[in-house]
Amino acid sequence: MKNTTKQYALALYETLDGKPSGQVKTAIKKFVGILAGKNMLIKADEIVAEFVKVWHEKNGIIEAEAVSASGLDKANVKLLKKYIISLAGAKEILLNEKIDKNILGGVVIRYSDKVVDGSLRNSLEELRDKLIK
Amino acid sequence: MSSTKDFIVEQLKAQIADFKAGVKQETVGRVIEIGDGIARVEGISQVMMSEMLEFKTASGLIYGLALNLEEDRVGAIILGDYFGIKQGDEVRCLNKILEVPVGDGVIGRVVNPLGAAIDGKGEIQADKFYPVEKIAPGVISRESVRQPVQTGIKAIDAIIPIGRGQRELIIGDRQIGKSAIAIDAIINQKGQNMKCIYVAIGQKASKVAGLVAKLEESGALDYTTVVLAGASDPASLLYVAPYAGTAMAEYFLDKGQDVLIVYDDLSKHAVAYREISLLLRRPPGREAYPGDVFYLHSRLLERACKLNQKYGGGSITALPIIETQAGDMSAYIPTNVISITDGQIYLMPELFYQGNRPAVDAGLSVSRVGSSAQIKAMKKVAGKMKLEAAQFRELAAFAQFGSELDKDTKAKLERGKRLMEIFKQDQYSPVPVANQILIFFALVNGLVDDVPVERMSDFELGLYKYAAASGAKILKEIEEKKDLSEKLEAKIKELIRDFKNNLEYLIK
Repeated sequence: MKNTTKQYALALYETLDGKPSGQVKTAIKKFVGILAGKNMLIKADEIVAEFVKVWHEKNGIIEAEAVSASGLDKANVKLLKKYIISLAGAKEILLNEKIDKNILGGVVIRYSDKVVDGSLRNSLEELRDKLIK
Repeated sequence: MSSTKDFIVEQLKAQIADFKAGVKQETVGRVIEIGDGIARVEGISQVMMSEMLEFKTASGLIYGLALNLEEDRVGAIILGDYFGIKQGDEVRCLNKILEVPVGDGVIGRVVNPLGAAIDGKGEIQADKFYPVEKIAPGVISRESVRQPVQTGIKAIDAIIPIGRGQRELIIGDRQIGKSAIAIDAIINQKGQNMKCIYVAIGQKASKVAGLVAKLEESGALDYTTVVLAGASDPASLLYVAPYAGTAMAEYFLDKGQDVLIVYDDLSKHAVAYREISLLLRRPPGREAYPGDVFYLHSRLLERACKLNQKYGGGSITALPIIETQAGDMSAYIPTNVISITDGQIYLMPELFYQGNRPAVDAGLSVSRVGSSAQIKAMKKVAGKMKLEAAQFRELAAFAQFGSELDKDTKAKLERGKRLMEIFKQDQYSPVPVANQILIFFALVNGLVDDVPVERMSDFELGLYKYAAASGAKILKEIEEKKDLSEKLEAKIKELIRDFKNNLEYLIK
């Protein structure tokens, strides 16, 4: 059976984990050699992407996205990061900021498959639903 | 005027003041692949098996059902039009299983498998919803079948009786009257304290329209619901339809009422499920059906039951229909459903083309539990008839070889011919049980031996008319006492003799 990209990424992580940088280089060289031997070099990009995922997972890093209407200042970003760490139980947060005028105000946080919608638009919609009822 | 305006404004203000924008964490997924009514979704890590999903599209919300939970993705079927869904659309879990509206509001209506009205008579008025999938009642709450379902079809009520809570399969080739039997049974439930649900799976819309018109005309729509998943509906709706129909039946069951449910037909249901399974890349098995196609039907038909008094005493009688290909009863789906049900009504093409309609094959058809539900009067006459029918079949094959037959055999053949005539019955003309007993009584007691075979149907109709006019008391007594005492038997004999004296073709 063929190994999946995820299996390659996991194997690579396990060989590299805890090794000094000198050995890492030779290990990666060997790994590429194996990939070439198995005709898997075309999938190298996918394996790298998987490897990043594995690395993040093992080290408690989470990629999150914060959408705001008009950008966030530094103090708020710090607060948000703390908030996400408490929500997700991660060690470190890589926060991507995005600006979307459509949400009017507040902030929408996305990480892995979770969404915390604290936007003004969402609140207004909830208010509308409540009033209709 | 202004005071009411102020009042309304005040109230609104109070409501708005009360409002607190709740921020809650939600689990969402994204569509990574869509096509053929199947969506593959990434994320939604908390999703449960057969949970409802909500697809947020540009043109509004579309619902789906999670069927495959895989390592890093979820396979879902789309309930409805999937063309609006695009790659990358947001998907939410609804934390509930698919539900349909139930209650008295669905009676007399035509609904789709999601419970939405499709008969143009306005929205369904229902305040209760039942999940479409439910575990069947257990052993503790059940009891054995003991009340009859009067189908009004002479051949069935006599030889293959059906009881309330039984599952009786109707099986046969295309176009030989499978649906007709089910429709006649529904029409005959008038005044029998029975709710009916007809689930059309993959049927032509024209056929269903004709059927609804017929039910309306005969007054059967007052106690009947039609659940329609037409031939042009997506496979997901065809798959859900019988479960939705059963959920509607379970509402009446829980109220202690009796329900008759017809699944027309389960072969198309299996085909729809096969389509879904193959698109979800589940491994195909025999005839390309997935491995759990037996469970598909067994979990559905197990929900037909007779509950004991402690649990309300209600019942669901199921009449599944299976279409065979060229009489092949040993195909995968027919054998599965035969083994699940409590008997089958087998329709023979040969009989149908000979003009014996309904084309019920008395030899291959069985009812495993129904005979204990027959009323005593019927049991008395039908027991003898079963024997007559069996003997006739044997002798008819034998008699083709030679013409030299003894007197006894000839008599049996003659009576058998009349029996076959009695079993012939037009569509949409169910016969009340008292009338059935009357004509069967006449046959087994040799009172019709002198009626010419070709005049049998005239004789039968005449007898019903005569009994209604001058023997109404006797009919009522049969219906009420449900038994034949010697006194009553004598009265019936006299009634039939009186009737025969009026017939010119019998007066010599």
